Order: sequence, then structure tokens, then C-alpha cells
Amino acid sequence: MKRHFLSFLAIIAATSVLGAGICNAQSSAADVAITHAKIFTLAGAPIEDGTVVIHDGKIAAVGAGVTIPAGAQVIDAKGLQVYPGLFDPVTQMGLSEIGAVSATVDTTETGLFNPDVTAATAILPSSAHIPVTRASGITEVIAAPSSGGFDSRNATNLVGGQASAIHLAGWTAEEMLINKRAAMVVDWPGIETRSFDISTLSTKEKAFADAKKEYDTKVNELADYIEQARHYAQALQSPGGSGIQRDVKLEAMAPVIRGEMPLLVFADKARQIRDAVEFCDKQKLKMILAGGTEAWKEKDLLRSKGVPVILKPTLGEPPEEDDAYDRLLTQPEELHAAGIKIAFGSFDNSFARRLGQDAANAVAHGLPYEEGLKAVTLYPAQMFGLDSQLGTVETGKTANLIVTNGDPLDVTTDVRYVFIKGQLTSTDNKQKALYEKYLSRPKAAH
Amino acid sequence: MSLRSVHLPLRRIMLLGVSLGLLGATAAWGQGGEPRTFAIRGAKVVPVSSAPIENATVVVSRGIITAVGANVTIPPDAWVIEGKGLTVYPGLIDGFTDVGVAPATSPAPAADSGARPQPAISRGPEDRPATTPWRIAADEVNPMDPRVETWRAAGFTTVVAAPKGGMFPGQAAVLDLGGERAGDLVVKSPVAIPVSLQAPGGFRNFPGSVMGGIAYVRQVWLDAKWDVQAEAAYENHPRGVERPKYDRSDAALAAAFSKLAVVLIPGNTSLQIRRSLRLIEEWKLNAVLYGGQMGYDVAPEIAARKLPVLVDLKWPEAEKDSDPEATPSLRTLRFRDRAPSAPAALGKAGVKFAFYSGGIAAPKDILPAVKKSIDAGLSPDAALRALTLSPAEIFGVAETLGSIENGKIANLVVTDGDLFDKKTKVKIVFVDGRKYEVRETLRPSEPPKGDLTGKWKMSFTTPQGQEEATADLSMQPDGTLTGSVTSDRGTGSVFSGWVSNDKFSFTINISIEGSSGDVVFTGTFEGTSMKGSIQAMGYNFEFTGSKPTRMATVQAGGAQ
Amino acid sequence: MKLRTNILCLAAALAFGIAGSISAREKEIGVSVDAATPVILIRNATILTVSHGTIDKGDILIKDGKIAAVGGTLKAPADAVVIDAAGQFVTPGIIDCHSHIAVDGSVNEGSVSVSSMVNIADVLDSNDISIFRDLAGGVTTANILHGSANSIGGQTVVIKLRWGQPAAKLPFEGALPGIKFALGENPKRSNFRTAGAPDRYPTTRMGVEETIRSAFTEARDYKKSWDDYNKRVAAGEKNAIPPRRNLKLDPLVEVLEGKRYVHSHCYREDEILMLLRVAKEFGFHVQTFQHVLEGYKVADEIAAAGSGASTFSDWWAYKAEAYDAIPYNAALMTKRGVLVSINSDDAAEATHLNQEAAKTIRYGGLTHDEALKLVTLNPAIQLGIDKRVGSIDVGKDADLAIYNHDPLSAYAVVQKTLIDGRLYFDREKDLAGRAAFEKEKKDLLEKAKKKQDEEKKAGAKKPEDKKAEEKKPDEKKPEEKKTEEKKPEEKKPEDKPKPPQSDADEGGAL
Repeated sequence: MKRHFLSFLAIIAATSVLGAGICNAQSSAADVAITHAKIFTLAGAPIEDGTVVIHDGKIAAVGAGVTIPAGAQVIDAKGLQVYPGLFDPVTQMGLSEIGAVSATVDTTETGLFNPDVTAATAILPSSAHIPVTRASGITEVIAAPSSGGFDSRNATNLVGGQASAIHLAGWTAEEMLINKRAAMVVDWPGIETRSFDISTLSTKEKAFADAKKEYDTKVNELADYIEQARHYAQALQSPGGSGIQRDVKLEAMAPVIRGEMPLLVFADKARQIRDAVEFCDKQKLKMILAGGTEAWKEKDLLRSKGVPVILKPTLGEPPEEDDAYDRLLTQPEELHAAGIKIAFGSFDNSFARRLGQDAANAVAHGLPYEEGLKAVTLYPAQMFGLDSQLGTVETGKTANLIVTNGDPLDVTTDVRYVFIKGQLTSTDNKQKALYEKYLSRPKAAH
Repeated sequence: MSLRSVHLPLRRIMLLGVSLGLLGATAAWGQGGEPRTFAIRGAKVVPVSSAPIENATVVVSRGIITAVGANVTIPPDAWVIEGKGLTVYPGLIDGFTDVGVAPATSPAPAADSGARPQPAISRGPEDRPATTPWRIAADEVNPMDPRVETWRAAGFTTVVAAPKGGMFPGQAAVLDLGGERAGDLVVKSPVAIPVSLQAPGGFRNFPGSVMGGIAYVRQVWLDAKWDVQAEAAYENHPRGVERPKYDRSDAALAAAFSKLAVVLIPGNTSLQIRRSLRLIEEWKLNAVLYGGQMGYDVAPEIAARKLPVLVDLKWPEAEKDSDPEATPSLRTLRFRDRAPSAPAALGKAGVKFAFYSGGIAAPKDILPAVKKSIDAGLSPDAALRALTLSPAEIFGVAETLGSIENGKIANLVVTDGDLFDKKTKVKIVFVDGRKYEVRETLRPSEPPKGDLTGKWKMSFTTPQGQEEATADLSMQPDGTLTGSVTSDRGTGSVFSGWVSNDKFSFTINISIEGSSGDVVFTGTFEGTSMKGSIQAMGYNFEFTGSKPTRMATVQAGGAQ
Repeated sequence: MKLRTNILCLAAALAFGIAGSISAREKEIGVSVDAATPVILIRNATILTVSHGTIDKGDILIKDGKIAAVGGTLKAPADAVVIDAAGQFVTPGIIDCHSHIAVDGSVNEGSVSVSSMVNIADVLDSNDISIFRDLAGGVTTANILHGSANSIGGQTVVIKLRWGQPAAKLPFEGALPGIKFALGENPKRSNFRTAGAPDRYPTTRMGVEETIRSAFTEARDYKKSWDDYNKRVAAGEKNAIPPRRNLKLDPLVEVLEGKRYVHSHCYREDEILMLLRVAKEFGFHVQTFQHVLEGYKVADEIAAAGSGASTFSDWWAYKAEAYDAIPYNAALMTKRGVLVSINSDDAAEATHLNQEAAKTIRYGGLTHDEALKLVTLNPAIQLGIDKRVGSIDVGKDADLAIYNHDPLSAYAVVQKTLIDGRLYFDREKDLAGRAAFEKEKKDLLEKAKKKQDEEKKAGAKKPEDKKAEEKKPDEKKPEEKKTEEKKPEEKKPEDKPKPPQSDADEGGAL
């Protein structure tokens, strides 16, 4: 541990990072060569004793016998492994600092339809969550509004806003951006027969028929809204369309209508999933399912409609008393075997670092290892159309890489180096700093 | 029409309904000339305490059973009821209910009504939340409770009734379902102290949790015992000792204990039953379990403690309106499937048990629920006993109730067939030797053929001449009729009205010559005209009625 | 050899009889815990003893529910059940030092700030599926705690996860009872205040301290009154009235007398020190600090007081008081001499405590064995049950978990879990039993539906059936005829896409 710490200091010194050393410490933009590593490209067999060359923020070369450019900073990764950085596709990263303190929470806007609000606007680049998360090997995430989390009040959104894909490094949100408008969040309504009333701290029961009616009403409202948006989009494109009265919200829906932006639909129960998939199919909208607790019940439909699924943490509790104890753990393999593309998401910020652990648990219950690894790297990139930039260690892609002392999915593995946009990024963070501070607290007098 | 002027044939009986509610059993008794002796001749008699007797006779006189058997001399002044085709059972006993007890007129006090002003929120056991053990059912009998009549019409002559609400709602009494004054109904009091462990409080009131409820009750028992001790000691030697505070609840509980009242402790699922068995042992109570529906699981353990059980007849079942995509858990399914087998299992293990209506609101559903337990393995004899002699034994009134034996109270139910056959009808009920005829339950069985809503002008002829009344009626899609009838005699609200096909009936209760009585209108209608007969005071009068066409409003009736 | 083993296993399964079926998802009620447990031989396992290192490829012999021998190649009687654990890892069963499973009703009596009169042991729920799921995660013992709604909460109990046994058979025999305290945001309701509702005292950390001090002051006086009474009675006084028993103060007196453990939920460094101070003032001991996410800041103080710390692996930032939480907490406190355990506080988390413990290898550099201790021997010591459980030693209870992989990894899956030498979880049996489980459910649902349909037929005929009969005499009322024919579905003509309706929606209840 201590040895690693010293070598890390050396690197810091060598790359002359500004002091403080806690947040956003990225090296200068010199070429980097990572040598003697076992490279898991995820685009072929792993490369033993390989080298990765990073140039101008991108992967310039990958292979066993690769020339190291002159002047490149060399990192000897003997005994270590290189992977694509992990990609967490559903988080509230930067949108929430302390869940219980609402002043620090910007995840969920008020009102049913907020297609125009964009996550990138509210991302706090200096959030303590970002350095903590990337220290676990996650290099990019999607920050999704209205996606849950500890803080989430009862989400009353139908359309929650635009999710933004960001690198976990950058001085400003602009610098962090991968895609400001990666997807449109839709919270598929649920059937609430039981609700918890915080003011009386009691649970209230409602008749199913009533709850179903409310559900149907909400779905109809969503359909109406899509209809309006479609009409607006058409009007915009028609001759003289630029002169129509503009509506920021409907305007935000236009890329969705045109099929350019997917809907990121949050749904867990079979009925919700089924209704959402059929809805999007009918409306000719691209859909990504997020949550998917009961996706296994609708796997045929999901496969036939080609809907990818971002699964909630496998380490959650199975929803029903009668569910097999490993229901959530075996679901990834079941969906994969059914031909459905899956990814894992943390659906959180403070627990984002458990992303690899979720995947590992799925692997322990039958998902092939390679699938598990791809489900936290390549597949989320593909789902959001970012696989030309991210998800594998291949030349031409953005150099978001991690160098580990072992399997990045297992809980005991240490991430030694993190590269984001080709720059060596500090794994230092608030927690490490507190650790070091109190490690060196003098023994208390007694 | 004056009562006094009516010439009464000797055998004529005056109708004087004393209760509201559905038409059911109405008492046949009155002023002077009231028959006090009846004989049911040639019926099948099921005493419960012994084997059934075919072609037997039961004689009751002045509220007591005076003879039972195949060869019985019928007293000359006895009103003889031919029992051919009829079966006589002991009057049924509902083991735990609040039928016949007035609901609390004021909201149940949230805290001890001692000298301190009642706090809005209970902050601990000392505030005695939801605790009113001083309420005594015997003192709060409400003969006008409509359920007295409907229970009776279903064959129940007796209930064990307690006030409702709270963790210590009050002391239960054995009530017979018939009588003029409130006190007439009371057979024995107090017989039981019901306890509920269900926290009434919500999050802010103590107790708010199940464990809070248990801790609370535990503290109450300790306090009650301590109070007795402390007060006695203080009586002996008050000098120099801080005086014990008076607690009304503790005093009431101590008093009830001294009268050997049993404590009713809840336990329906195995978890709850086992927990209650432990608590009963810890608290050293003379107890009876109520609930008992998972008795099939724990019968031997209950038997080992020699505790009686009151079994709730509201068997667990699926909610009428539930999410078709949400399947209940296997545990729940098993419970629903097996609950009706609990009584048989209890019986087999040697546990004494009785039935109570529990969550059942409509008394017509009680016997079908018992039938379910028979279908699940309980012998009909055991089922009958659980409705008669067993509850009598549990509550210490078996000397006088629960079977047809010479000398016992004349509580009988006379049916036209086997009690548990769904086609069987209750014909006559005797409560304390008073005869109540049971009319057919007149529930709408067919959809109405038209709409009775509107103002009807009715005319009828009484011995005193032509009279008129206006019936302002409102009909529900399912045929239920409400409204009021106005005449020179006053206005009465319709409290039991129905329309079925082209037949209808509605009942009002108005004051006739100083006494309130039921007036029943029964008839047929077609379009805007109706005709039928009125029953009042035992008299029948024909009537006709018509609805002025201008006011006929055709509502969206029918299938809506 | 393998065949013989299998036959023996089969014979044992039959001999197990009812006990064997417990290990499946299906539980049998009323199984006597006194039924003699067979002799079990676990063969060829990697044994992580926790107390004395790792034994590669060794046996464990279990007799009468206890560990009879550990290590080497052991001999067993012919009728012993043999579990072939080649390639597998055996550890002591995991002990979860902070759990809220198996409770009937709320885990909080949140109405009052001192709710010491309530007792979790009164409301254990043996039907909670979380018991089974925790077994599937290798947990054998759990410290079931009252919630954190109150400065002084209710009495707590340690249980063994004997799935299938009635609630009375769950408590860990001889384990000292506990009581839960809570400090910080939860008991002062920082995050739960609602406008209009009256505040409950205390609403500050200052008030939390005073609530505790006040309660113990009262308890001290109460204890004195009892001591006085007992003295008078011992001196021969007759007719003395004992003090009125106060169930709220009884457990606090037990704390003062060292007969009841204090488990205190806490987060911030200042409140940790506060409780140590108050404990010192009244002369009682804090057995464990729970969560104690800032424990690393005052580790020396905790160690000096001899209190244990039971914490999370890597939870943080969900509350203000959790903002400084670090995943190095467990390792750092351990290094400073605190007895540390890692707990779940959550039914789902409890199913992978082995993985959570493993994180301390990476966060703070604990060794493999030190990490494993955090969920085995350390919580056992914290709960005072280490003479019986927490390590694989001769004479201890045969509470064991068998993994298919080193447990300090996300890839480890529990294969079997034993408590008192009985197989309470068997993954193979659980998998094999699922089909029967689903079938029983299906059969019961069909049975219930059939009954319902029969009842419907026997009962009043539905209005729809009646329509055909009614149509004829209806000529006289044309208006009514129309309304009768109108169907509810036709009410809303719409040209927008409707949510697809499942046929079952119209059918109603199950």
C-alpha cells in the first residue's frame, strides 16, 4: 500500500499537477504509453505483455509490439491489467451531494413534463462523488434526472428531462461532456395501491380499480404529449416552420420524435415494462429500459422489439416474497440467453462504485464473464450510440482506461491508474484524504 | 285508529315491533294475553347435550324449557306449533361481537380520563391510550341495534358482546337477543375482558407498533396488580407512605378479575397464536384465544395449555378488487386454503372451541362460513356444538344456555331443515321463551322491472276510513329503496325497502297511538301505478298508489 | 468412492427427513429442534478457521450440533452424512451485528424518545423470507435491533437464523440481551419533520444527550428504590410494598448493572464522544457503536473505552452525518485497536456481507483473515457469544457456511449453511424444490378460482345474464331499454392510442 502511494506521488510530481491534489487532478496532455500490461481490449483476445499508446486524448496504438513515441510518459504496468474504463449508464452523478439535504439535490424537477431540463446544467463538477467514483474505475457515466436515488421524492414526472453523458473529469461540466443530450428520461407510471404518507407516517391503501384508472390516465397523458410533440416537430420542419410560436418543452422533444434521441424509460413491473415497450413500438420511438426488475417476465417481448435493458443493482432484494432468493442475480444471464442486450447501472451516485460488484455477482450466477465485463463497458456505450468513442481498448477511441491489479469487477481489486480523455487522472478523493489525515492522527492521550 | 277501540280476538296478537332493521324476526308478544307457554310438537329436536330425537316435543314456559322428549305432555294453555318437517336446535351463540352494544357516543378517549386534562397525544403507558376497561357491555346495551334483529333472524339467540374499540375496549357480557328494556338482554356480566394488541396510535401516539402494544399491555397488568397490593397496604398503614394514585383502568380490571372474568387474547396466525400463548403464560391469565384461524398449524400447542379458542368465521379470502397481475404469496394462498380446516384440527387435538362472527358483517354469511369448516373436515355435530354448548361453557353459562335441556333458558331456533344446508330457512326463534317469527329475508333477488323513484300518492282503507299518504321514494339500480312516507300520522323514513322485478316492499316505523311500530308496504307496480297491502299492528289493509306522470323521471337505471 | 458418497448423502437425506426439507425453500413448521442431529463429516474443504489460520484440504466433524474435530483427514461413523466439499471453502457462519429482519410490525416504537419498554424479542417473525435469504448469504446469527427513531430505543435480541423453527426457538440461548440507542439525525428527526406536526423532544444533539442522561438519572433512582426495598425485605421487614415495576426503567437498570448490552447507532465524532462521556458519568459500558461512520476520527477513544464498532463497508453521503464516511473506516479503526465488525442494517446487504468484508483488503489494507474476522469472530465477541460461535474450533457450535470460492470475493456463492449442525440452507435443494413450489402455488390459485366461479354461479345471477330475460317485457319503456343496452366500455370514444389492456383486467379478483 505504502509503495503504491509513493509511486503515485512520483507520478504527480512528474506530471506537475497543481497542488491540493484532491479533485480533478489531471496530467498534462503529453503522450502516454502503458507498457507490459495484460490488455483486455474487449475487441478480441486479451493481449499479454502489451502496450497502449495514448495520443491527443485517444488510443493511438494497442498491441504486444507497439512503438512507444518519443517523449511519451511511460507507465510500467508489469503485473497489472488494462481495461476500458467502466461506464455507469444510470446515475445521479453530480446532481445530488447529500441525499437527505434537499438543497444539495437537483435530480427531479417539479411537474409532469420537463423534457427541456438537462442534467448537464446541474452537474456539480467538484462534487465529492466524482473523484470517489472514478477511483473505482468508472470513467464515464450518464447523469439522469428523475432516476431515483436516496433523495428522490415520489417522482411525479412523466418526462423527467435529458440525461447527459459525462466523463468523470473536467473543470467544468462543459469539459466533462460526452453528450449533453444522451437520452430523454421517462418515468413510466406505476399502479400505486399502497402509498406512504410522510405527513402522517402511515400507509394508505387504494382500490386497484382506482389505481389502474389513474395509471391509464397518466399513460394517456403521455400519449397526448407525444402527439403534441410530433405535431410540433412536424410544424417546425414545414416551410415557414421557423416562424411558429416556439415552445421550449416541445422543442426538446423533437429529437425524440425524429428518432435521434432514445427514451430512457424507467419501469420495473411486468405490466409497466410491457406497456412501455408496446407504447414505444406503436409510437415509433427508440427505447432503452432502465430498472427492469421483472424484465424476465417480458423477455420475449423485449427481445422481439430489440429493447436493451439497463438493470438495477443485482444485489437488491427480490421484490416478492415468493421470488427465488437469487432472482435478481440470475436475471442477467436469463436475459442474455434470451438475446437481450443488457448493461448494469448503479441508479445512484454514492453507490456507483459498486457497479463492477453487481456485474461480478451476475457472473457468479451464470452470466459469462466477458458479458459481465461488456455490460459495464461496451454495451452501455452501444446503447447510447457512443461506442465509436468508448467501451473497448481500440485505436481511435477515446482513451478512457483503467489499470488495475486484477479483475475490475471484483471487490478486492485496486485501480492503480485512471485515464480519462487520455489524461492520467487522480484517484485521490475526499475519502482517501480523510483516511490519510486520521491515519496520521497522533495517538490520543489518556 | 285508536288501539283501544280495536276489538281483539283472544288469540289475536298485537304487533309491536321494537327494533329497526331488515324485516326479520318480529316478536309475538304484547299486552295482556301474551302467551308464555309454547309447545313445538312432532319436530326433530337436536339437544346437543344428547343425541337428536325424532318426532319429539319441546315445551317452553315462562322463559324456561320445561319439557323435552318424544312423549311429553303438552300443557293445556300452550300455544302449539306443529313441528312436522321442522328441526329444533338450541339458540345459536355468537362467541364474540359487539352486537347489541351501543357504539361509543363520544370518540374513544385517547388517554386516561383521570384528573389530568386529556393530552392529545399519548406519550407513554401512563396515559392509558385506547383503554376503557371500565365500560361494561351490560350497561351499554342497545336493544335498538338493528343487528339484534338480523342476528336473531339468522338463528342467533345469544351473543357475547363487548364495546368495540381500543386495546381494552371494555367488559363483555352474555346477551340474549330479545327484550324490551336494555337490562332485559343481559344474561351474565362481566364474562370476559377482551384485549387487543393492535396499536391504535399511528406513528406519533404510543403505542405505535406491535411490540409497543405488547409492552403496554404488560405494563397495565403489572400496574393493576400493583395497585391492588399498594392500596391494600395503604389502607392498612397510610402514615408515612406516599399515597398510591387511583387509576380507573386498573381498578376496573381488578374488579373484573375478581369476578373471574376470562381475558380474551388475540391470536389468528401461528405466529400470533404462539406469541399469545407465551404472553398468557407470562401474565398468568385465565385466558381464551380469539382468532384461531391458523389453528390447523398449532392445535397441539394450544391443547397443551388447555386454552379454549374462539374461531373467527371470516375466513381469509382474496380481495374482491385486486391486481390480476399480482399473485398473493404461497403463504397467503395456503392460509386461505387451510383456514376453514382449523376448527376440525382444533377439535381433533382436544381443544375446546367456539365460533364467532368476527369480520362477518351480514349474519346470513355466518352459517355458510360454518359450512365451509364442515366441508373442510369438521363434523356437523362439532360445528353445532361450537355454536351452542361450547361457547356457553367457555363463558360460564352452560348451566342455563347452550342446549335443549329441561330447566335451561328457552333459547331455540326452529328451522325447516338441516341447519347447515344452504336451502334451510330459519322459521322461528325463541329468546328467553319469547317467540319470534322469521319472515323470508326480502332481499332484492331480481333486477327491478321499472323505476319506483318519485312521489307516489297512496290511498288505503282502514277500519277508520279512507286515508292517504305520500311516498317519496328513491330507487337504486340494484333495487334498494329509500325515502320516506308522509301522512297525517307523521313522516317515517323507509329503512328497509327493495324492488324485485315488479314486486316491492318498504317498511317505515311511525308512532301509532303512542307506541312506535313497523308499517310494511308490500305490493306490485306497473309503470306509474302500484297496489298492495299494508301491514301494521297486525292488521292488513289494501292500498293503491299512483305516480303523477308529470313527475315521472326516468333515471339512467338499468345496467348503470 | 463418489457413488458411495452420494448414496450416503441420499441415506442421510432420508435420515434427515424433515430436517432435509428445511434446507429447501419450503419450510416445515413445528420441526422439533430437539431432534437428534446426525453426525456430519465435511470433507476436503479449505477451512478458514478465523481463529487459527487456513487449513487447505481438511475435514470437519460435527457431532450433536457441535464441531467435534477440525482439520486433517477425519474418520466418521458409517451412518454419518458426508458433505464432499472439495474445491469449496468453509467459514464460520456470518454474524450480522445490525439487522432488522424477522420483526413483526414496525422495528420502531417511534412515538416516544425513550421506548426501552418495548422488546424486539416479543415480536420475532419466523416467517420473514429475509431469514432464508440471509441464510443463502451465509449468515447464521443476527443481532436484531430496534430502529433508530429514538434516543433510547427498545430491547434487542440475538437470534440464530433457524429457518422453519417457530419464533420462540430463534433467540440465541444465553446471549446477553441488548438495548438500542440512537444518536444524531434520526432520533432528533432532522429529516422527518413535517409542517404542522408538533416537534418531539429532542430536536438537537444537545437534547439527545439530555434525554439519555435524564432517563438514566430516573433509572438510577428507580434502582435505588428497589435496592432499598430489597434491603428492607432482607432485613426481615414484612408488609413492605415493592416499588411499582416500570418496564421502561427495568432495562436501563440492567444496563447499569452490566446485564444488558448497549448498542448505539451513531455517526458523528462528537456524538460518539458524548455517549462515552455519559456512559462514564453513569458507570455503564457501551458495548458497540453501530454505523459509527466517523469512528475513524475518534478510534483511539473508542478503543480506550473497550467498546466495539460495527460499521458499513462503503455507505456514505445519504445524510449529512454520513458525508465524511469513508470505506477505510473499518480498517482504520482496526489498526487503532478497535474491535470492528461490518454489518448490514439491511436485508439485501446481509446477503453479501462476505463481499463487504472483502472490501477492507482494498480500502485500508487489512489482510484476508483480518477481513474475514470482521463478519465472524469480531461480531461474535461484540455480542458476547464468541465462546459458542465465530470461528471453526472444536467445541463451538457447528454454525458454518460453505462457499464455492474464497468468500472474500464477489464470485463466491454460498452452497450450504449449517446452524447447530443442521443444514438450514442447501442451494441444490433450493433449486430442486422450485418447480414443486411453483406447482403448489399454481394449484392453489386454480383451486381458489374454481371455488370462486362455483360460488358466483350458485349466488345471484349477474345482471348481464338477466338482460336476455328482461328484454321481452320491456316494450313499454323505450327510454329504459336504451339505457340498459349502453355498455360501460363504449363511453369514451377515442382516437389516440390507448394503453394495451390485458384481458385479465376485466376479470377482477383472484
